[in-house]
Amino acid sequence: MSTIRHRSAAAFWLAVPAGTWMLAAVVVPTLLIVWVSFWGGRAFSASSPLTFDNYARFFANAAYLRLIGQTFLQAATLMLICGTLGYCIAYFLVCKVRDARWRTALFLAFIIPFWTSTLIRAIAWVPFLGTNGVINQALMATGLTERPIEVFLYSMTGVTMAQVSLYTMLAAGPVVYMLASIPPALREAAMTLKAAPVTVFRRIVFPLTLPGVVIGQVLVFLNVMADFATVATIGGNKFALLGNLVLNFYEGSQLRFAAVAAVLLMGCMLAGVVLALRVVDIRRLGAR
Amino acid sequence: MHWKTRSRLTGWILGTVTVGFLLYQWLPIFVLGLLSFSGPTGGTTFPMNGVSLHWYRELWDASIMNDFKPPVLRSFLLALACSATTVVLSVTAAQAVRGQFRGHNLFFYLLLLGIMAPGILVGFGFALMMRLLGVDPSWDTTAYITHVSWTLPFGFLTMLAVFNRFDPKLEEAALTLGASRVTAFRRITLPIVLPGVIGAGLFGFSLSYDEYPRSLFTTGADLTLPLAVMAQLDRQLTPELYAIGTTTTLFSFLAIGVFTFAFWTLRRRVQPR
Repeated sequence: MSTIRHRSAAAFWLAVPAGTWMLAAVVVPTLLIVWVSFWGGRAFSASSPLTFDNYARFFANAAYLRLIGQTFLQAATLMLICGTLGYCIAYFLVCKVRDARWRTALFLAFIIPFWTSTLIRAIAWVPFLGTNGVINQALMATGLTERPIEVFLYSMTGVTMAQVSLYTMLAAGPVVYMLASIPPALREAAMTLKAAPVTVFRRIVFPLTLPGVVIGQVLVFLNVMADFATVATIGGNKFALLGNLVLNFYEGSQLRFAAVAAVLLMGCMLAGVVLALRVVDIRRLGAR
Repeated sequence: MHWKTRSRLTGWILGTVTVGFLLYQWLPIFVLGLLSFSGPTGGTTFPMNGVSLHWYRELWDASIMNDFKPPVLRSFLLALACSATTVVLSVTAAQAVRGQFRGHNLFFYLLLLGIMAPGILVGFGFALMMRLLGVDPSWDTTAYITHVSWTLPFGFLTMLAVFNRFDPKLEEAALTLGASRVTAFRRITLPIVLPGVIGAGLFGFSLSYDEYPRSLFTTGADLTLPLAVMAQLDRQLTPELYAIGTTTTLFSFLAIGVFTFAFWTLRRRVQPR
């Protein structure tokens, strides 16, 4: 018995407002993009003929294909860096910090920036990366280089550096959760049976945190694939990933091409999510 | 090497990585704050050429072109509206899922889609839809709808996690004692899950306040704060931008503080130990 009856009409009607909202604001617009990507003709109207021309013309351009490859490469790079860093951080926070107060303080230090503007945090990297930026000033002051290095601002290196700072916590968070839910008895049992610490980690701890790792990787993947703002801020319009392409076409009023790029972006992201959902069941998280 | 020494060594290495990343994450924010106080001749990086409030004064007496006050007000009002909507809709949605109505699995994935779907797609698609319908985009109509579609799933997942840990025996006790379902929900369930509700509200506020991609496509001529910041960055990078960045970051901290305070007070009231 609970305050809501199983399979009751009340339960259904309570779900209707949120469901309608999501349908109208997410599902219908997304389907609309797919539809518009097949539009022929020139006018923006629902009576446009449907064709594959937009796709054919898009794929005929090798530069766009390369751009899709670059987007995946960027996502893979970030998944590798954020995943490794995130796992180290999560493991340290949960398994190595014994004092509960310290742990809370460190958690807060990591989580608080998540609540501030991502855009501002991306912009905060600009004074670091320029030719006269903080990094170059520090490098020259310590005598590591004599002339400023021009690889940071307006380069993908700079974009990657900023994205690592933005997204590592997404990879660490789910792992922290999974690590914290491993009963200490499991580890003790393995230790009692004379397993070396490395073996305990490889055979017990890591497999149990795998769902957290996968979810973290999905979050990083989705965010990097869709992140055009950091690329625009730090890359300075010299670089574009798939997301920037959608925006550039949109601003150039080439709505059909924008739709094609958006559909491809959607396809790539969907493939990633479906792959991950086959591995873990997100609904089980939070249950005890 | 003894395994205890090795374990301690691992601890030190991981600790260094953790603290190093913490610095990496926070340093830009601090430098942004520091540079916002540079002198009137200060540039966008070091040296600061003196310490002053010059750029904050510039911010305050801004011309129409780069006046951040109206965008701040718009973003604030929009965030409040999103917060309120998120709270109401996420509580009803999570309660509905507890009722396991037919199709609740599909409903769950529908809401999850709001998190998974990138802002650029939602914004672009919604802009297309409004264009087809002939509706002019505006921060308080179209942007509001897209923002809630982003904040609602976070609130919903928060409430779902809270309800997962909720002890149904408490409700059963109230119902056995003759309370109606509505009364039991209002008097027993809601006060207990209230900290989660506050969390949903915080998600609603801060995600909407900082939202950029969805706003970009659905806001129209009157810009919200992130759009105004980005427009200013495209025009010219001055320490004034650092000043607005510092101000809004401090404002975010303040918002977190207020919500956290509310959270703790409520928790203490529910569990008086």
